[in-house]
Amino acid sequence: MKVEISRRRFLQGSVALSVAGGSALGTTNILADSKEKPKNTLVKKVPTICEMCVNKCAAIATVKNGIVTKLDPNPYFPKSRNMLCARGAAGVHALYDPDRLKYPLIRTGQRGDGQYKRATWDEAFEYIKEKMVKILDEEKDNRSCIGYCAGEGLAEHTYKTFMADKFGSSNFLNHSTICLQTAVSGYTLTIGGYGQADLENAKYVIMAGANRAEAILTPDTMDLFKRTRGRGAKLVVVDPRFTNTAMHADTFVGIKPGTDLAFVLALTYVAIVDQVYNRNYVAKNFVDFDKYKKHILDSEYTPEWAEKITGVSADVICKIAHDFMAAAPQAIYYQGRRSTWAKNDFQLRRAMALFTALGGGIDVKGGIVFGHKLALGEHTTTAPMYANAKPRIEKNAAAIIGATGSWVAWRNMVAEGKTPYPIRGMFVYKQNPMLSVPDTARTKKMFEKMDLVVVIDTMPSDTAMLADVILPECTYLEREDPVQAYASIEPAIIIREKVIEPMYESKPVNDIMRGLAEKLSKPLWEITKKHDEDVQSELETTPEDEFYEENGFNLAEPFMHPQEETNKHMVVSKHGEEAWNILREKGVYYPNMLTYFKKINNNTYECYPKDKKYYSVLKLEEAFDATAFLHDTCVNPADIADLKRSFNTPNKKVECYLGSMEAKGIDAMPKWREEDHVKVPAGKFKFISGRHAQFTQNATQNNIMLLELMRENYAWINDKEAEKLGIKFGDLIEITSSVGKIRIKAYPTAKIVTETLFFIHGFGAKSEALTFAHRNGASDNEIIEGTIEPVFGCSVMHDTLVSVRKV
Amino acid sequence: MNYAMALDYQNCINCKACEVACKEENGVQLGADKQRIWIGVVEGTIFGKPFANLYPSQCNHCLDAPCVSVCPTNASHFADGGIVKVDAHKCILCKGCMEACPYDARFVDDTMVAVDKCTFCDHRIGEEGTTACQATCPTKVRMFGDLDDENSDLVKLLKTKRFFFQKEYTNTLPKLFYILPDDEAYAKQSVSHNTIIHTWADIKPLYDEARTRRSKEWRK
Repeated sequence: MKVEISRRRFLQGSVALSVAGGSALGTTNILADSKEKPKNTLVKKVPTICEMCVNKCAAIATVKNGIVTKLDPNPYFPKSRNMLCARGAAGVHALYDPDRLKYPLIRTGQRGDGQYKRATWDEAFEYIKEKMVKILDEEKDNRSCIGYCAGEGLAEHTYKTFMADKFGSSNFLNHSTICLQTAVSGYTLTIGGYGQADLENAKYVIMAGANRAEAILTPDTMDLFKRTRGRGAKLVVVDPRFTNTAMHADTFVGIKPGTDLAFVLALTYVAIVDQVYNRNYVAKNFVDFDKYKKHILDSEYTPEWAEKITGVSADVICKIAHDFMAAAPQAIYYQGRRSTWAKNDFQLRRAMALFTALGGGIDVKGGIVFGHKLALGEHTTTAPMYANAKPRIEKNAAAIIGATGSWVAWRNMVAEGKTPYPIRGMFVYKQNPMLSVPDTARTKKMFEKMDLVVVIDTMPSDTAMLADVILPECTYLEREDPVQAYASIEPAIIIREKVIEPMYESKPVNDIMRGLAEKLSKPLWEITKKHDEDVQSELETTPEDEFYEENGFNLAEPFMHPQEETNKHMVVSKHGEEAWNILREKGVYYPNMLTYFKKINNNTYECYPKDKKYYSVLKLEEAFDATAFLHDTCVNPADIADLKRSFNTPNKKVECYLGSMEAKGIDAMPKWREEDHVKVPAGKFKFISGRHAQFTQNATQNNIMLLELMRENYAWINDKEAEKLGIKFGDLIEITSSVGKIRIKAYPTAKIVTETLFFIHGFGAKSEALTFAHRNGASDNEIIEGTIEPVFGCSVMHDTLVSVRKV
Repeated sequence: MNYAMALDYQNCINCKACEVACKEENGVQLGADKQRIWIGVVEGTIFGKPFANLYPSQCNHCLDAPCVSVCPTNASHFADGGIVKVDAHKCILCKGCMEACPYDARFVDDTMVAVDKCTFCDHRIGEEGTTACQATCPTKVRMFGDLDDENSDLVKLLKTKRFFFQKEYTNTLPKLFYILPDDEAYAKQSVSHNTIIHTWADIKPLYDEARTRRSKEWRK
């Protein structure tokens, strides 16, 4: 959904809304009843969707006498493969976390000192209203003077509907530019989509930087590790660290951080020079391949050249390139979902996509596939047009600043007071920028400059401690969220039903938005009337009440329907009443589910029959024998890949050369730029960060069940280098970069390459309201520099140089 | 019924979902050292190159369980299906069973003032057909089942695979069957030189004999 902010009113139309909020009705399903339940115990089983990370695994909550006692996997959802990981199983402790935000809070002390008073919802909304009215009056109804950010989640859209479409600010930030924007865009601009790696059928997988054993992604993690170690999928792990994924690798390649692009370019060089790529496929499906080939050869991206940069031997590079192409098209250079590593990240992702495509492994079983998505109905709301709302402040910070902005560029401008107009306030929903955005000191400075900071969250995070008003959201187990459809080989629709009523005074975000909108609508309308000349001229001919309602100035309008009612409409309008009933009972729906779904054994369920899966979905541009090709295992997969297909790119082909990028000063083809490569001077280290399977970024940091598995983070340092520095296991070390310093315990190990320092993201909270997370280990973003790459303004995470000393 | 479990340990990614699911399902006492279930990690370097092997584990519910034999109060006992359990009311915390167990599968639950351990989730296997650890596992390491039932998923699996036991030399007839990788290279990487490799045919008579002998003690 896209809305232009300052267009004239006559351009205004209805905006499609896939989500609208309201309070859910408390109906829940009883999936199964225990035969031997104790007397006087009411046991309910309610399908829900996990929100402990971004994967949305289907779960079934057991509720005994109103208490959620257990979360078990729901086998009906094909994507989550009948499992719940440690975090998913520990969701009960997110619900019953004693430190949860329980009621609205208004700041009484200085910003950051943690002094708050309990308030009613009305008092909190009133406080926000008074500040907003003052700010917007002073800023002459420039809605964009209030920024807002959101973490990923099923209800993110509800919040965005209010802030963007109804309130009208253009300054939105989400996780994209501190996450996977370069990866998604790199693949999309090259092969027409980010796609899904079909790890159930791939024969050869290069996993570079991605760490599927520790950064769990469904269904990739579940599919891959049943097939590693000599069971069908050859796995090459390329990483500066020997991770739990590397443990499963046939070949582990330790690489210097920030040099992956040189590695991929050398693989490409070998494939082209030795002519092992799929020439038939390339001839039919690539555009500008000649340019790319010439560029690769002229630049002499030889394995020997790459060896000097990456630290990976030329022989290994040659062997990997040959083995990969021998297994193609069922060979994948795994896309990964990582944050941006170095300045060249966009080019790296492009080179990875092109290398996979050279083998033909796109839109084919065992390669990168796009899958199919089931339709859902839509809702519309009217977005008011504010003549005085200005475009986002950092729109020129990089070549392409998308609808989700550039977190770091935006933050830097506000913190340094270099914005084209004042940013006076910020709404933060389900995000914790104090821990999640690089250069914490500058993020703090940004918040300190604001007149109004509102945080909507479940936990008193470090960011919440900088808020003027804290609004308690209920957890995912206490609300019904917008229904969601997932594109996949095995597509499905899922629903998060309310398991229990919201505890304390917490509310779902759609109720919060409705309350806020009801409070703000009229006072803000008065501001608009005062400053907006377009509105003033319209009101000369139209009665005010009529104009107000018809043009969307009643901000509460999209949030008036109960969520369940909205969800029902979205499903029934496309799939019928029966589908809705199945979805509510099982938590999952896809056509023919009840006939397709089969239990093989206690570990394995079949959701779709093999011949009903959506492996190849692109339109084929030449005739073929469908019956032979689609599902016959005797057909050579290379022949299927060879078919000419219509990619979702401008040229309908795999794009080697992006001319449009060149106009913006970005390389049209992946190119190694030595001047962008940060080298490590003697005595220094390059700092890298990453994830593991027991915590989701910083969102689960106070979960006592998970803290049992890992109490704090440790800094990995190469054991030989540690010995020279006299650092032993458990020693406290001080790590200093240009933006900050932290102290952390050391973990000297042979599992990390030299000149590199690592620790896990998500620890080191300073909020004293987090009893269990407070000051465990260190936060990486206190030392990572706030720099961006040139294409999307994504935060560069792995180019910070640090020095280390034993304390 | 003779309950047991097979572990396809090479699927394990050390995510610890099983540990959390076990604690949530069974209300196990909080504390990093209070675990009914755990993942054993063996790691090091060979010629400077790192390696690691993972052995998810829990109580073996041995047919000849030494913890049951040493218990002075009969708190440790065999329940139906050969599941080794502790009757908390009878436990006097002498900790003899903790000494006797070759697998260190027992610990003191301070809230119950008794020894606690894995129960193979016997409260839920009737309804759900499986344990919490198996159900939740992302990569499906475990296969719980009934050794008496030739058609159980467990026995069907054991008939097609080779397997070994942890600490077989203690002669307790453990019931965690570690499935050996089919791939010879990977098989060699994860077992020691003197690990005895078994098949269903060779182990069945031994286990049948012990079952007949000890099942008289199994409480209904």
